[in-house]
Amino acid sequence: MEELANIPWNLIMPILVLQLILAVVALIDVIRNKRTNGPIIMWVLIILLVGTIGPILYFVFGRRQT
Amino acid sequence: MKNTGVLVQKEFREHSRNFKLYWIPIVFIILGIVEPVTNHYLPQIMESVGNLPEGSDFMWPQFQGTDIFVSLMGQYQLIGILIIILAFMGSISGERKSGTATLLYVRPMSFVSYFFSKWIVINAIVLGSLWAGFLAASYYIRILFGPVAFGDILKFVGTYSLWIVFAVTVVLTLSASLSTGAAAGLSILILFVFQVLDSVIGAFWTVSPWKLSIYATYPLQGDSVPTGYWMSLTLTVVLIVLLFILGAYMSKRNASKTTV
Repeated sequence: MEELANIPWNLIMPILVLQLILAVVALIDVIRNKRTNGPIIMWVLIILLVGTIGPILYFVFGRRQT
Repeated sequence: MKNTGVLVQKEFREHSRNFKLYWIPIVFIILGIVEPVTNHYLPQIMESVGNLPEGSDFMWPQFQGTDIFVSLMGQYQLIGILIIILAFMGSISGERKSGTATLLYVRPMSFVSYFFSKWIVINAIVLGSLWAGFLAASYYIRILFGPVAFGDILKFVGTYSLWIVFAVTVVLTLSASLSTGAAAGLSILILFVFQVLDSVIGAFWTVSPWKLSIYATYPLQGDSVPTGYWMSLTLTVVLIVLLFILGAYMSKRNASKTTV
């Protein structure tokens, strides 16, 4: 636990918040999106598990450009 | 000119609905924050996850704030430009392919204002993201590394912004001229491969758009204006204008290729 306290949370927090926003926006969109490129469940997993790049991958490749 | 305003609004609405207006700035800001933080805590990070052998002792380089700006620019050169290419390679060719373009092309509009509306909106999004990223970075660099002269940052970001406008214009013009896949491939060739070529054999000339990113770092390192700097700026502006004209012309010529 001591290591956790040593992490400079006030510096890291903005990054975590931004990543959270990115993931939440991507998740809302992937659920509302009727026609994704590939199965929806795959994109949900990618967004949740692949860190920062997951949501970006979804926005670039997952959304069908109509 | 009345058309242009409507088209600009249409572009903003489109990029708001496909979330590009939101995720591109967030990604640029994340890059801008992560770069100073990881560089500042590099010794601690390496200690805990670096798998260094017991007792090894490294002399970590003492980074200055200006070094972090340069390495952040390196991130934008790779990830930033890749995002620009991937996000905007289909701005015009995709519209032709999906058939959305028919809804536009049947209306009386000039292709110059059509191309201009796309160009100005994409540049606004990308430059806004870039500046937000550098702003976040300069805040963190100020906290972690100490202040950097504001005038130097301004010169650096200004020069680099022109290169980014050039990159956006290249991608958009190619998107007007070719199909989405070909536009992506050729953009990567022009923006990445030429960059590498320029740094390998570029010692033989001083004037080229690909040198702008290197010239941009000169004020940060306290060097004077390099020879060929102003000529490179002028050449880049001229190339942007030429590409713009070509793009507007090609989007008109390719209008007949639209899927109906």
